[in-house]
Amino acid sequence: MVQGNADGSDYKERLIASVKKEVKQLMEEAVTKKYVHEESSSVTSLCGAVEACLSQGLRRRALGLFKTSSTTALLHKIAKSCPEAEHISKLVQEIEASDPSKRSSSSSDSFQRPPMLKKSSSNSMSTGANAAATSSSASGSASASISVSASTSNMSLASMKYLWIRLALYEKRLTKIIEYLVGNASSFYDRDSLVADPDYGSILSSLLVGPCALDFTRAKTADHYWTDPHADELVQRHRISSCRRSSSTCSRPAIINFKRSLNTSSDEAGTGSFKSIASASVAKDYVESLHQNAKATLLYGKNNVQVLPKDVAEPMPGYLSLHQHIQTLTIKWTPNQLMNGYTEAEEADDIDKDTFWAYALNINVDEIVYVHCHQSRGEDSGGTVILVGQDGVQRPPIHFPEGGHMQQFLSCLETGLLPHGQLDPPLWSQRGIGKMFLWPRSMRRRILPSVMESVDETPIDYVFRIVSKSRHEEFAATHSILDFVRSTPRRAQLSSCSTTGSSDCSNKSLSIDQFPLESPLLLQQQQQQQLLQAQSTSIEMVCSTMRRQIISRAFYGWLAYCRHLSTVRTHLSGLVHGRITPEMKADEEGLTKERWQLLNVDGVLENATEFYRLVYFGGVQPELRQEVWPYLLGHYAFGSTAEDRRKQDETCKHYYETTMSEWLAVDAIVQQREKEKTARAVAKLSSGSNSGNERTVRAADLEAGGELENEVFEDISDISDPGDLEFDEQQQQQQQQQQQAECVVSGNHLSVKPIPRAMKTSTDSGHVDEGEGFNEMDEPDEEEHNAKQQQDQMHPESEDQVEYRKLEDPLNPEPSCSASTASSYETVGPGDVHQRPTSDTRSVLSPEYLSADDLQLPDDEDAVKPPPPAAAAVIITKASVDISNWERSPKAAEGDQMSPLEEQAGESGGAGVNMDALQQPKSACASPASSNGGVYTSELLEQFGLNLHRIEKDVQRCDRNYWYFANENLDKLRNVISTYVWEHLDVGYMQGMCDLVAPLLVIFDDESLSYSCFCKLMERMIENFPSGGAMDMHFANMRSLIQILDSEMYDLMDSNGDYTHFYFCYRWFLLDFKRELVYDDVFATWEVIWAAKHIASGHFVLFLALALLETYRDIILSNSMDFTDVIKFFNEMAERHNAQSVLQLARSLVLQLQMIIENK
Amino acid sequence: MSGRKKSLLKVIILGDSSVGKTSLMNQYVNKRFSNQYKATIGADFCTKEVVVNDRVVTMQIWDTAGQERFQSLGVAFYRGADCCVLVYDVTAPNSFKNLDSWRDEFLIQASPRDPEHFPFVVLGNKVDLDNRQVSTRRAQQWCQSKNDIPYYETSAKEGINVEMAFQVIAKNALELEAEAEVINDFPDQITLGSQNNRPGNPDNCQC
Repeated sequence: MVQGNADGSDYKERLIASVKKEVKQLMEEAVTKKYVHEESSSVTSLCGAVEACLSQGLRRRALGLFKTSSTTALLHKIAKSCPEAEHISKLVQEIEASDPSKRSSSSSDSFQRPPMLKKSSSNSMSTGANAAATSSSASGSASASISVSASTSNMSLASMKYLWIRLALYEKRLTKIIEYLVGNASSFYDRDSLVADPDYGSILSSLLVGPCALDFTRAKTADHYWTDPHADELVQRHRISSCRRSSSTCSRPAIINFKRSLNTSSDEAGTGSFKSIASASVAKDYVESLHQNAKATLLYGKNNVQVLPKDVAEPMPGYLSLHQHIQTLTIKWTPNQLMNGYTEAEEADDIDKDTFWAYALNINVDEIVYVHCHQSRGEDSGGTVILVGQDGVQRPPIHFPEGGHMQQFLSCLETGLLPHGQLDPPLWSQRGIGKMFLWPRSMRRRILPSVMESVDETPIDYVFRIVSKSRHEEFAATHSILDFVRSTPRRAQLSSCSTTGSSDCSNKSLSIDQFPLESPLLLQQQQQQQLLQAQSTSIEMVCSTMRRQIISRAFYGWLAYCRHLSTVRTHLSGLVHGRITPEMKADEEGLTKERWQLLNVDGVLENATEFYRLVYFGGVQPELRQEVWPYLLGHYAFGSTAEDRRKQDETCKHYYETTMSEWLAVDAIVQQREKEKTARAVAKLSSGSNSGNERTVRAADLEAGGELENEVFEDISDISDPGDLEFDEQQQQQQQQQQQAECVVSGNHLSVKPIPRAMKTSTDSGHVDEGEGFNEMDEPDEEEHNAKQQQDQMHPESEDQVEYRKLEDPLNPEPSCSASTASSYETVGPGDVHQRPTSDTRSVLSPEYLSADDLQLPDDEDAVKPPPPAAAAVIITKASVDISNWERSPKAAEGDQMSPLEEQAGESGGAGVNMDALQQPKSACASPASSNGGVYTSELLEQFGLNLHRIEKDVQRCDRNYWYFANENLDKLRNVISTYVWEHLDVGYMQGMCDLVAPLLVIFDDESLSYSCFCKLMERMIENFPSGGAMDMHFANMRSLIQILDSEMYDLMDSNGDYTHFYFCYRWFLLDFKRELVYDDVFATWEVIWAAKHIASGHFVLFLALALLETYRDIILSNSMDFTDVIKFFNEMAERHNAQSVLQLARSLVLQLQMIIENK
Repeated sequence: MSGRKKSLLKVIILGDSSVGKTSLMNQYVNKRFSNQYKATIGADFCTKEVVVNDRVVTMQIWDTAGQERFQSLGVAFYRGADCCVLVYDVTAPNSFKNLDSWRDEFLIQASPRDPEHFPFVVLGNKVDLDNRQVSTRRAQQWCQSKNDIPYYETSAKEGINVEMAFQVIAKNALELEAEAEVINDFPDQITLGSQNNRPGNPDNCQC
């Protein structure tokens, strides 16, 4: 409760830091072990840290008369107004009532704790005692059962400490209570207290959110104890302190009597975790264990090494020693108070002695992973070593006096680790890492003289890792020999050491590289010793193996977690660009016309960065979008001239048209099949035989017709199904009526190519109606077919092409042009098709004829046609050939190619250009169709047909209420998507593509440009669709981002576990927010997304999503919406967002993350 | 059993794209038909309070994307469903054929407790159109073969049979609930028992 005004904030900082540290440790423990034990020492430490924060600056008067400064009193006080506190307060009172003996410890404030529990370290000691009890009872020794009973009370005492904080933590209400305290700090706290501090207060409460989400357990498992960081150490401390009376023999810290040590050493060396300690005089053994003895070799000893134990303000001097046991290396530190004049201590001092025992360190080097070394720069002021365990817990800092002691300690440590382990990097490596150390000039044994150079440049902090070269198990089998070998020289060292005697002489560190001077006596002793050891070896081995396995498992868990954390960090930093682009000046307004003209020097856009910056921060003036978007999408290259771009456009257009002609051909066939199928289905339905076996019926029909079976046109025979006739007649009448109505095309007709959308049925029945109409016409058609064709009559033929003609006629006075696009694809077919005799009118368009023709194998088709039995392929070129023939002017037909692409009509392209376009893909076209010269497999037809069907359905439903798509523009949409799908049949059409094409088409109003840009757009978007993996990545990123940028939201989501899959963002990411915003906002948002890729973040959509979420966070939080609520909320909010503010927020979120990463 | 009333019924509508799932849902919930619906992306739901067997229950009707590619997405929504409505378009035979796979997929993904008796309802939508291609008989046959799934022919546009069909859906879902409660009580007790064993004697555990 130090509250010096000057260092007030410093102190607060430290308090918060300690809470932070404890939280971190607890969370790591939780992750490593999947749960946290209620009595885990980390819980106690955290509670202690929280208690310290809460007691700082507490206005005691406010709490009443009796409980002077207790935070428990504070709890009871606020219970009246804070429901969480009330709950906890009740619990506390219940516990106190049930066990009055606990009362003193639970409700007493920090000044009135029983001596045993005065410091938090002593508290963890009792926790450890508990651990010891369990482990000992497992081993079944007599003394262990005593420990159990002894520790039971300790355990309860331990768990009683910080009782209310503890309970609040278990009950997950601590955060709320602290929030309440922070909110009402004025009534309980001094103005300059931590809780009342606007920053620290909220930091404190938010820090505790994580621990409050943990589940704590009381269940005891072996795992719990063996991964608990201090268990071993605490076991021993407790035993020593409980038997301290008997430790009177130890009075000197130095290694004064090694002979005695040898004689008295028991089979425990003070560190074996499973070993029961049979001796009653454990403390004595402890102290003796500090000495050289048979089991443990003293490698290093130094007095007046200062250690800052937990909760102690001043570093305490003590004796530091490094011991080598059979398989382990132990670092011990014992406070001077225990080393000197212990027996003379008065009874009154016993309490203090206890605490000192608690402060003593006993660290197994096996458990240490990192050794941090800190030195002051430029002067030899000793150094500080901090050992970090596998669990990430820092041991108290060990401060060495000046004189190079730290370096010696480290070198002894390194020596001691051999041969099983080593320091990484090695202290004295040739690679010059040894340079790291600032060696004192006064040092006698200078290991690397070169390190003295350039003192000022030497870094002063190093971290070493302790690595195990080999598994200890390998050595276990031969350990007695090893021990023998290793212990031999040590005896020799000892003798030399004991001669130096003095405790402060430490530079004469003991290391194995000294030569042994063997004495017969020592050897004898050792042999005896080995016999003794052999008995305990097997048990010890089993135990230590188990222990190591458990520890290594925990360690790997922790390691995995650390890696995960660092991955998350790296990951998030990958989401934004490191470089922060300066924001726009106040007078800038994005990409305005003037700016655009300035940037566009002679029609060449060079300054990409500036361009992107303007778009990112200010958007594009709407009129410019048509020009600007191709740059943004990467269609036009920066630095391209107007001429380049024109050429590029032309190429694109040619390519587009060619591709389109390819799929249109397939489309024609598909439609044909569709109609036939439909007709058959309808026929069957009407004839009532629909439940029969279709296959059989068809087969029968085919046989009757005497035709070879052709998969594609299998359905044709159905037309002659007598069942159809009646039905067809009705339809025919309808058809005729329509005809009379002077309608160019019946509303029900669905054609291959651009029939104005308005004329097309907008219902899903389109296909079907058409099919019916078509079927009905087939039979009457047959007789007059050829005549009709040649006369170019406006007879109601059912063929698509003829419909075309009808459609085009009003637009195009020249009758021959009516062949339209459907006819044009023939040019990509094999050349021989062109030479087909004109007289072959028979095959015109009618499916019957087409199939019949196939089967009859006209000579000129042999080259491209598969043998009839294969039957799974169709020649598509035929129909169009006929049309062109029939039009008597192939050239004209090609010219007509332009007509579906009306928007380009103005261009001078003409027949020649189109010719190019059509010829080009013969060699270069990558489409699946071109390779087989217009022969399509049944699978391809099936596949593309299905896709077309879906496209048609979605196109019809896409934005039909938006002005642009109120007319035939929906056809353009369909063309663009179909072309894309044709080129990417492996991907196929997926719902959502329509939504992505639509805005492009609105802006460009040009199919081929929209297509090219759509392809560019899809490069990124395709991954979002179910076939790609980007969606899951987005969700994961969202999760991490929310975790970092809005922890409160994250907690809500976490508490409603099902949030975690973030499906409410699915549509956002899939369509780049297209459905969330109105069209104008979609434009504005899209261009920012595209520009952001080059300016701030390639994952700008994430920040948009986050911004959208943040915009409504208060609503979401205050209603504590669950997963379904959020989905509903955002679905209902669609197209009602304020796009500009969301964009602004998204940009600032990007900046925020950039800052976080930069400051890291 | 009746004392513990579950007030929320989760209903999933499945079927091929553009068979009219969204329209059916909106016709039922809002009594409106619009021809402006776009293809559903992701999932949406509506809630409606209904009275079934004198109980007021909230129906949460989930509308999902129809393209089978997006089925994997739907999985999250299938869980905990009380009833599944399979919709097809009487003018689109394929949408009828696909009912099988929709049903199977649902059973796999939602893994209901008793797949054999999980309440499905089949709706043949768009009967207002005159180019019907799937006969009532065929649909009924299919439904019979699948454990007598109730079958209704509806028109979301005209509102034909929609109200009635959803009443049946609610009723069947509720029946499942009632059965589930019977089944549920038993394992619950088991669970409680095993929980009691553990925390009750932490000190006895000597491992």
